[in-house]
Amino acid sequence: MPAVIENDVLVYKGSNFFRQRLLLATLSGRAIKIEEIRSKHDDPGLREYEVSLIRLLDKITNGTRVELSETGTSVYYQPGILIGGQVNHSCSTQRGMGYYLEILLALGPFCKEPLNAVLQGVTHSDLDVSVDKIKSTALPILLKFILVDDGLELKVVRRGAPPLGGGEIVFKCPVRRHLRPLQWTKWGLVKRIRGVVYALRVSPTMANRVVESSKGVMLKFLPDVYINTDQCRGPNAGKSPGFGISLVAETDEKTFYCAEAKSVEGGKGEITLPEDLGQECAQKLLDEIYRGGAVDSSFQWLLALWMSLGQKDVSECIVGPLSDYTITFLQHLKEFFGVMFKLEVQRSGSDEDSDDEQMPTAQKIKMTCVGIGYVNISKRTL
Amino acid sequence: MADESIFDKKKAHRAKHAGRKAEKKKQKTKVDQSNLSARQRNPKAFAIQNAVRAERQFRRREDVIAKKQHIPQVDKTPLDPPPIIVAVVGPPRVGKTTLINNLIKSFIKTNVTNTNGPITIVTSKKRRLTLIECNNDVNSMIDIAKCADLVLLLCDASFGFEMEIFEFLNICQVHGMPKIMGVLTHLDMIQNAKTLKTTKKTLKHRFWTEVYSGAKLFYLSGLIHGEYLRNEIKNLARFISVMKFRPLSWRMTHSYLLADRLEDITSQEMIRRDPKVNRDVVLYGYVRGVPLMKESMVHIAGVGDMKISELSYLPDPCPLPSTEKKRHLMERERQIYAPFSGVGGIVYDKDAVYIELQGSHSHKREDELTNEKKALLKNVVETTETVDEQMQGSGFKLFSGGAVIYPNMVKDDEYLQKNNKTADSESENDDSGDETDSGHDSGIDQNEKDGKERLPWNNSRSESENDVDEKNNEEINDKSDDESTDEETNNGDFSTKWKEKLSEKATEAYFERQKTSKNIMKLVYGAFEIGNKTKDQKDDTDDDTSDEEEIGGLFKKVTDSQKKKHKEKEILDLDECSFFYALNKPILRNWASDENKQYLIDSFVSGKRSNDEDASELLKLDDASDGDEEIYGDFEDLETGEKHVAEKDNKETGQKRKAEPTNFEILDKKLKLKAKFDAEYDNPDDHRIKGDHSYYENLKAEALKQSELNKSVFENLDIGLRIEVEGFRPGLYVRMLFKNMPAEFVTNFDSSYPILIGSLNMAEQNIGFVSCKVKKHRWYKKILKTNDPLIISLGWRRFQTLPIYSKIEDDLKCRYLKYTPEHVTCNMHFYGPITPQNTGFIALQTVNNNHNEIKQLGFRIAATGSVNEINKSTNIVKKLKLVGTPLKIYKKTAFVKDMFTSTLEVAKFEGGRVKTVSGIRGQIKKALNKPEGAFRATFEDKILMSDIVFCRTWFKVDVTKFYAPVVNLLLPIGEKSAWQGMKTKGQLKRENNIQNDANKDSIYSEIKRNPKVFKPLVIPKELQKGLPYRFKPKKNKIVVPGDKKNVIHDRVAVIKSPHEQKVANVMKMLKTNYKKKEIDQKKATKDRIKKHKKELDEIEWRKLKRQKELKKKICRQLSKMSNKKKPQM
Repeated sequence: MPAVIENDVLVYKGSNFFRQRLLLATLSGRAIKIEEIRSKHDDPGLREYEVSLIRLLDKITNGTRVELSETGTSVYYQPGILIGGQVNHSCSTQRGMGYYLEILLALGPFCKEPLNAVLQGVTHSDLDVSVDKIKSTALPILLKFILVDDGLELKVVRRGAPPLGGGEIVFKCPVRRHLRPLQWTKWGLVKRIRGVVYALRVSPTMANRVVESSKGVMLKFLPDVYINTDQCRGPNAGKSPGFGISLVAETDEKTFYCAEAKSVEGGKGEITLPEDLGQECAQKLLDEIYRGGAVDSSFQWLLALWMSLGQKDVSECIVGPLSDYTITFLQHLKEFFGVMFKLEVQRSGSDEDSDDEQMPTAQKIKMTCVGIGYVNISKRTL
Repeated sequence: MADESIFDKKKAHRAKHAGRKAEKKKQKTKVDQSNLSARQRNPKAFAIQNAVRAERQFRRREDVIAKKQHIPQVDKTPLDPPPIIVAVVGPPRVGKTTLINNLIKSFIKTNVTNTNGPITIVTSKKRRLTLIECNNDVNSMIDIAKCADLVLLLCDASFGFEMEIFEFLNICQVHGMPKIMGVLTHLDMIQNAKTLKTTKKTLKHRFWTEVYSGAKLFYLSGLIHGEYLRNEIKNLARFISVMKFRPLSWRMTHSYLLADRLEDITSQEMIRRDPKVNRDVVLYGYVRGVPLMKESMVHIAGVGDMKISELSYLPDPCPLPSTEKKRHLMERERQIYAPFSGVGGIVYDKDAVYIELQGSHSHKREDELTNEKKALLKNVVETTETVDEQMQGSGFKLFSGGAVIYPNMVKDDEYLQKNNKTADSESENDDSGDETDSGHDSGIDQNEKDGKERLPWNNSRSESENDVDEKNNEEINDKSDDESTDEETNNGDFSTKWKEKLSEKATEAYFERQKTSKNIMKLVYGAFEIGNKTKDQKDDTDDDTSDEEEIGGLFKKVTDSQKKKHKEKEILDLDECSFFYALNKPILRNWASDENKQYLIDSFVSGKRSNDEDASELLKLDDASDGDEEIYGDFEDLETGEKHVAEKDNKETGQKRKAEPTNFEILDKKLKLKAKFDAEYDNPDDHRIKGDHSYYENLKAEALKQSELNKSVFENLDIGLRIEVEGFRPGLYVRMLFKNMPAEFVTNFDSSYPILIGSLNMAEQNIGFVSCKVKKHRWYKKILKTNDPLIISLGWRRFQTLPIYSKIEDDLKCRYLKYTPEHVTCNMHFYGPITPQNTGFIALQTVNNNHNEIKQLGFRIAATGSVNEINKSTNIVKKLKLVGTPLKIYKKTAFVKDMFTSTLEVAKFEGGRVKTVSGIRGQIKKALNKPEGAFRATFEDKILMSDIVFCRTWFKVDVTKFYAPVVNLLLPIGEKSAWQGMKTKGQLKRENNIQNDANKDSIYSEIKRNPKVFKPLVIPKELQKGLPYRFKPKKNKIVVPGDKKNVIHDRVAVIKSPHEQKVANVMKMLKTNYKKKEIDQKKATKDRIKKHKKELDEIEWRKLKRQKELKKKICRQLSKMSNKKKPQM
């Protein structure tokens, strides 16, 4: 839904894509106003996790102005300058840490000082990408844009399952003056599969059972499968019980696909069988591989963001089918930065292949854009 | 076994070493020496003889190479670049206008009567120039320096360089140095040949020190009939036309344009009602620098920040000649375009626009075009017909106009076409039937025109057509309508039934999604308007559609837009989730099953590779290219004329076809190999000893690759979409509409002032605190004071602000400075527009062109510098000493008062360090209750009541939030060079003749010093007792100072007895006698001594006499003896 522009303030409606909007506003330096946030819900206004996001943004910026209406159904956000540096934030347990971490990841390269963030909260949740996934999949994408890894690091200190969380991570990100344009049209073939299974406050056998089942599926495709188990004990296991798995497939062109699954929250009456969980995760990973593309489908939007923030040169990447989130993100990019991507459906394989129309490989989309020549205005030169 | 082998051993072959065969073989193997390089022929000569020398040579070579290397930059010059801006700069009356006229005449052979504003001319097949004259105003000089590619710096040789020239050079240095060529005029004023020569020489060297040594300086030796010599001008023109340019970093990150045409399109009625009403102004110009984005903010130098409300491109008014092969420009291709000068067809007067009707053909066409444009615009605005009618009306014209069909445009552009209703705008555009017009429709209409043309790859076409039918079905056709991908997130409803269905649906949609090949751009950017269209048109169509909705007055057709709105509402308040399957979990395919596995297995390294990667396939290709071609290929027997065609086993090839490499594939492979070989061997530099240049070479190759990609990637795209994706690339002639421009801009318009429109990148429209390093210009006479208003030219902007100077201490603290230091850089903070780091700026204290002021100042540029950092707050501190006095002192603790005024203040300083004047250190402990602001402090030693306690702290100084753009273009004509912003306090006082009361302590007055009066010395009685008598104060002795004789001796009078008197008399007489006797004796002694001395003298004299005689005798004897000896000799 396009925004309405009222004297250079972008006005949006609805609580959805709150995070995208705040992120892009912060990067572009444009003020936004979001109205009618859950105005027709039983509990109207911003949720705790959204307020927590605003708090986090306030911590890493200087000069940010946020005005909330009394009911909390409308927010005015005027971004400041990205500062970064040492940040300590305890995230809301309503959402996973990925919700916040993705924002930090997107903003990290444009701070004044290298970001060194310590986040506490839920490390694995259903709604958000887990920290494992970000570590294995999103950081390599950023690395493609900054090229030199001087201190890009994500350390999982403690894991924490919902609902109580108790996990902790340390995220460090170097700063850059600008990002380089990226051409990434080959993603290669999957050469190895790695994975982590964690078990928090549950029997260690659970983890082994998950490993076994998921490995069983993956071995049908590739012999190079290694899955670690992470048995957490004591305070390292967070505050709630739970277990889960994340599988990473690495290709020979340094593309990473990741799938993850986790047990349902305790006390809800449902039980997750470890075997099912392993199967489910493996299936998800295969689905992700099938979709293909240069990046994992969850981070298409990050790729799009960094491509558009590059120098005034052409970037092109081929990704799998666009997710809804990416589509709205592209629309938001157009509104905030005026960047429009040229999107082409890539015909995979030769013509003969598409004859058996039963199931060609998934649609690939070539994204081409000219960067807006974004420079890190916060960084200090001496 | 062993035994057998011995038996089996055969006689080994021995090659012949002599004989005919051996000779032959030798001849055969002998290397042909003729085409070997010297190095190969005689390798020893090139071997290293001396290791040290070789090392030195190597090092030197590497040095030379390293010095040549520059960071490779991506070349961003477009294929048809914008005209080069040639600015003619110089003090008044040096011949700028004459030069421009002469240049134009030499380039295009026409005389231009008046030169106002930029003049664009075509000079060669690949180059256009925009000539602009810079007037004598520092504002114009700054703007010109920011946009000029080449500067012709004119100088009156008979006078020498003037201050303006140096100022301009300094401005250039800061904003990115354009190419500069000096031109000396008025050389005929110097009659003496020798003076002329020396003048030339001195001026040349002065110019070289300012620009660079070797900079080109032209001499225009004189005027003939009011024109410069033709040869000299031709020479200059030639130099201009071969000039090469270096990219400047600011202009390579910002787009800008120099407006060469202006139109005020405010309705006359509004102006009549209120002449001061804000105007709608249209500005035209060539985009330069980098592509201009459609929705970017711009800064118009001299006016302020503006939002472009409409941006579209126009056909080039001064196009480069077509790419026909020929040597020279034809006469009609030598075009000129200068609306401000009245050459390009339109003349601007103060309040009217004149269109010149006579002129060459090109001008005429231009007029028609613009007229048509206007008519078109009017047409759009005053639309009265319904869409259908218009469609009918424009039906057949559509095809006649759309003769040019670009199939590649259709490919990407149908997304624009949400519904056919937008066609009305296009059909109107088509009315003109002009080729140029159809050229800049956004390609949608092309799509309409060849609507039935189906391209092999465009399966989606049929789908989208089917959509219409499907919509009539009552079900919400989520599956096929991929336009609404959002349907998956459709779980706002909570009925259980729905939920059950949901996952099913999602699964279906999921399979559908993977097959889909519908135009993805429509899906993403469907909601935005694209290309040259304006918002109004879109609104119109929206209204139209709403009219059509009703069917039979009862039912309402659910239109696209309504459905969309519905969907939007659904996703409005969902939880945000970045997963591919956002909130619902579709049942995935079972990938492990065999039938599905085959689709996936090739994505793994263990699977089958594609043809160009698979090793076995490649091998096959190799074989094929080597042998098969020759053996099985077609050939013709030339002798018999028979043609042998390779037998083709058609049955087999039908199946084998895929595996067998085709000729095409082989060719492709060969090309690849060739390219690889070329890359490895074709670089002649590589044969030398290689240093480690691979890093640099890689960088260079990367930049080259990027620039090629930049140029090629959008080449085939339809222009409307291209502009949307890439922006308005440099070289396009654009029209930009600004709404709500101040009326003064139009009413006070003066075409001799350049209108520079620079785009602002992300976040540059915001205002914050800018920290920069700055140095006062060494030619500026005054030093700069903190918080004195300063006019800064930074980025595109010129503005006045209040800077604070500071110095960065070793602990990175900014310490406040009241004045700029001399000859060193210092830090400066001001409140102003956010500008990227490392952008240079110049600062002036005034831009007023008041003659007296300039004379007084001499050199106007006060300081130069560059931006360091941007922030939303500042931290500048100044030293502060808080002083207090002890209230009460215990051993090492003391209560101190007067340092603070309240307990709260003390609380803030708890733990702070304090110190006494005598150097005793201490710490602030806690506030006291009683005297407000007093506190307890501990010290390392006991302090005294007389000690002063002080606390050293830093006081934060705030930067005043003052930012005022220099709006000189809004000033009335004639006063444009007299912009006056905020004045300093000193300036105001000087003007109003206000004088401060002087500090009393500072006033000089006569010094009157009273004599010091000491208190009498009082010696305590106890001490007196112990003193020896002579130190005891003598009583009753009054000493009048300064009067020795009047010492009153307070003594007792002594009266002598007669006996004592007698004795005293006798003593007196005796004393007298004795004195007399002594005197006599003294006299006698004196005489005696005299006598004795006389005697002694006499004796001495005699003695001397005797000696003399003796000497005489001896000498005589000696001489006699010598005389006697001589004769003997």
